[in-house]
Amino acid sequence: MSHRFPQVIVTFRQLNGGGSDPIAIDTRQRMGVYPSKSICGGLPMADHDIANPGTSAPLLVSRRDVIKGVIAAGAVSSASYLFRASTVWAQTSAPGAVERLVTLTVNGQQRRVDVMKQETLQTTLRYKLGLTGTKLGCDRSECGACTVLIDDVPHYSCSILTHTVRGKNIVTIEGLASADGKLHPVQQGVIDEQGFQCAFCMSGFVMAAVGYLKTNPNPTRAELAHGISGNLCRCQDYDKILNAMMRGAENLRRANRV
Amino acid sequence: MGLIEWATSPWGREVPIHIAFGLLWVSAIGGLLFLVVHAIYVGYWAKSAEAHAGEAVGASSGIAARVPERVARHSFGARLFHAVMALAMFALLFTAFLPKVGVRFAWVTYHWIAGVVLTISVIYHLFHATFWLDFWSIWPDRVDIEDAARRFRRAVGQAAPAPRKFAKYPLENKLYHLAILCAGLAVIGTGVLMMSRVRTPFLARDPYLFGFSDTTWGWMYVLHGLTGIALVALIIAHVYFALRPEKLFITNSMIFGSISREKYLEHHDPERWPVGERAPEAGAAGSKSREVPA
Amino acid sequence: MAVIRDVMPAFELFQPATIDDTMRLLGQYREDAWVMAGGLDTFDWLKDRIKRPKVVVDLSQVKELSGIREAGGGLEIGATTTLTEVVRHPIVREKYSILSTGAEAAASPQIRNQGTIGGNVSQDTRCWYYRAGWPCYRAGGNTCFADTPTAINREHAILGADRCVAVNPSDSAPALIALDAKFVVRTPKGERVVDAEDYFIGPGTDITRMNILRPGDLLTAIRLPADWAGTKFYFEKVRDRNVWDFPLMNVASAMVITDGKIERIRLALNAAAARPLRLAAVEDAVRGKEPNAATGEMAGRLAVQGARALRFNAYKIPLMRNLVKRAIGGVEKAAWA
Ligand SMILES: Cc1cc2nc3c(=O)[nH]c(=O)nc-3n(C[C@H](O)[C@H](O)[C@H](O)COP(=O)(O)OP(=O)(O)OC[C@H]3O[C@@H](n4cnc5c(N)ncnc54)[C@H](O)[C@@H]3O)c2cc1C
Ligand code: HEM
Ligand code: FES
Ligand code: FES
Repeated sequence: MSHRFPQVIVTFRQLNGGGSDPIAIDTRQRMGVYPSKSICGGLPMADHDIANPGTSAPLLVSRRDVIKGVIAAGAVSSASYLFRASTVWAQTSAPGAVERLVTLTVNGQQRRVDVMKQETLQTTLRYKLGLTGTKLGCDRSECGACTVLIDDVPHYSCSILTHTVRGKNIVTIEGLASADGKLHPVQQGVIDEQGFQCAFCMSGFVMAAVGYLKTNPNPTRAELAHGISGNLCRCQDYDKILNAMMRGAENLRRANRV
Repeated sequence: MGLIEWATSPWGREVPIHIAFGLLWVSAIGGLLFLVVHAIYVGYWAKSAEAHAGEAVGASSGIAARVPERVARHSFGARLFHAVMALAMFALLFTAFLPKVGVRFAWVTYHWIAGVVLTISVIYHLFHATFWLDFWSIWPDRVDIEDAARRFRRAVGQAAPAPRKFAKYPLENKLYHLAILCAGLAVIGTGVLMMSRVRTPFLARDPYLFGFSDTTWGWMYVLHGLTGIALVALIIAHVYFALRPEKLFITNSMIFGSISREKYLEHHDPERWPVGERAPEAGAAGSKSREVPA
Repeated sequence: MAVIRDVMPAFELFQPATIDDTMRLLGQYREDAWVMAGGLDTFDWLKDRIKRPKVVVDLSQVKELSGIREAGGGLEIGATTTLTEVVRHPIVREKYSILSTGAEAAASPQIRNQGTIGGNVSQDTRCWYYRAGWPCYRAGGNTCFADTPTAINREHAILGADRCVAVNPSDSAPALIALDAKFVVRTPKGERVVDAEDYFIGPGTDITRMNILRPGDLLTAIRLPADWAGTKFYFEKVRDRNVWDFPLMNVASAMVITDGKIERIRLALNAAAARPLRLAAVEDAVRGKEPNAATGEMAGRLAVQGARALRFNAYKIPLMRNLVKRAIGGVEKAAWA
């Protein structure tokens, strides 16, 4: 893959360049110049972005960034071939037709982004906006790793079209901590209780819990278990996870009191 | 529109699964078109050829005296078979194709039951016609071929001896029987095997029963479907001929069993279809016969 | 296991804002169009590249389709109301609790937050041969892979199979049938209102569809009549895991009991056949009887008449018998309770 490095770096810089308002597409990708690559090939497994609230383009191009660039190029260019073939593409003036260039509200920021019709929110967040705290586990609504809040309600971001959430308020794990870097009470609960092992499932659990606690701030352990039952942990220490989430709920109530 | 629908089997192979059921319309319209063209042909063009009709060489009129008032044509067994088969055939056609044109009902059960009825009736007919009836009366013979050639030469204006009258079944009738035999056997053969794919009281359902590959099964469905729609055209033509005024006496004979002496003498050659005392098994008939003389 | 591939293949996306625009789009694209509400059944098909619609019509922006209103003494639930909204609605909880229980038994919290009631009743079967994209009857092919001597068919049908042995997996459907709900369907010819049980069809009738909708049709609302509001309800779902898993079987009943006797009853059950079954014969048999264990026993035996097990689903017959028994006679306290 080394021969592709320079192009890929350019791609990634363009994807995220300009700081908070990237237009995540490159005409050369759209024309299919860069080869397609499956996103599972380079799924980054170890990037914890809890302490990196908000989002901005990385300053250094690390190996991981390169991988992400390749992934983004893949996600974009693999779809590009379809625009040429689409028979209904021309009819965008019909009622309900959809524009590709959209503005999303993510973690309180307005982000302009070029979104394919068939793109899921998870793809946009991770590969266009660089918000890799949201994980992709199954891509089939069966694990919860991709959970984000949409208008305060937990959704699987792998299973909703980005175009469907235009105009909604999207919060990912990166958006939980406050501007000064102070962790969200539920995140703090995770640290207090050392709730996770590998923590791949963690951001999904935290988002599900934060969403659930908005409807029931003072749950019993059983209620909270039910509330976050849409998330799976491969390391399987649900007891510890529940301890952490219960602690988080407590932290949250305390934070809201003061 | 393709003729056949294809799918990818679990093993990744492209296999046929059905005919494209749009072909139904091709067959139905083809059958109706034939009907219209034939009606026009008989109505206008064939009239001019009627002059030749009298020339057909017949038997000496002495024979006429021996012919009874009513000439038995189809035995009771033969007529019963025909009725059962016809019912089963219509049941099969309607159960198979109504759902394809949007009338939704649970068709498969009725379909396979009618299929079993048809199969049994055809097996009965095979034995009956082979051992009790005049087996060869329904197959085209040398005279038929010669006469067909003569008729053709005369039709295109060449000189040829006059064709003779028909034996018990006109050539067209024999050819129709041949067509229905091929289509019928194909649809029955495939249908019987396909019964292993649906739930019936006879067998545990087992699509792997015969060890056929997906491709073999696919072609079997295609053959079942193709012969099925071919039968649509054949049956349209058949019903049309049965209802034509000049053939009604034949249709009648399929219901009541006999034709009149006049019709017999007018259309048939007593040499080739002897009746009266000399006749073997009077009226016994290859009852698969279709009233399709042109 | 589903394979994670690249992004979904492209389709043209429409997000109409009104029912009329939706109908126009569906009328225009017909077979090429795919209606998407929450998309939770939809995405599996698209991601696995098994169904490849040219056009997806996303209902999420059609405000008229969403929300719960009081109407005609009962409720009218818009087709794109999410399961969570149904579960949490105070009147549903108070008067139609069987529906909130049923809807809450479905899937997982996140799925209920997005999955719609219309999508839940219109979802396709979960037969895994079919879902894997094999060319079975339901996919337009000429065989059923789930009913062969070697098939793995623990989840499949014991009743009403006609070549295809798939079952309907909806948890809200039997509750809606028990409540005598009416489904409001928009077709190009106009509006149709059908009884809940008539919305669903079996493979004999149409082996490639699970409901009466045809291309161009739209389910707009589900109406709950007042007749069965606040009656005696029973809902139970049996499944492997308490989250995500589809019902192995579920049952729903609504009863009016007068002087200790069953005066009126509606009883429905799902995941036993390709359509949710309303058990009318059982209803007739128990009317006028006391709702006790003996009646339930009799009802259970009657319910499973004609049931036929496949290779791995014989357990469903006693399961169905017992669920019907409990739906009518109630649940005995377990020895340890
Ligand atoms: C992992 C998982 C587990 C699940 N477990 C359960 C379970 O245990 N019990 C259960 O009942 N369900 C379960 N489901 C199914 C889930 O509840 C449904 O998929 C969801 O309710 C469907 O709603 P939707 O709006 O997302 O459907 P969509 O995917 O949008 O639609 C489903 C189907 O209905 C059609 N449709 C939807 N709305 C309309 C309309 N208004 N008019 C016409 N057609 C329409 C669509 O065209 C599509 O074919 C599960 C789903 C998943 C992914
Ligand atoms: C006039 C005669 C017949 C016609 C027109 C006819 C037509 C059809 C058609 C169109 C189908 C659907 C095939 C497909 O899905 O590809 C079908 C299926 C079937 N036919 Fe027939 N058929 C005839 C006779 C028979 C007979 C004689 C039998 C059995 C003895 C039979 C048994 C079946 C069975 C079992 C099926 C269902 C197979 C399946 O869906 O897997 N048919 N028939
Ligand atoms: S990745 Fe979305 S639920 Fe598993
Ligand atoms: S901690 Fe490893 S998957 Fe949950």
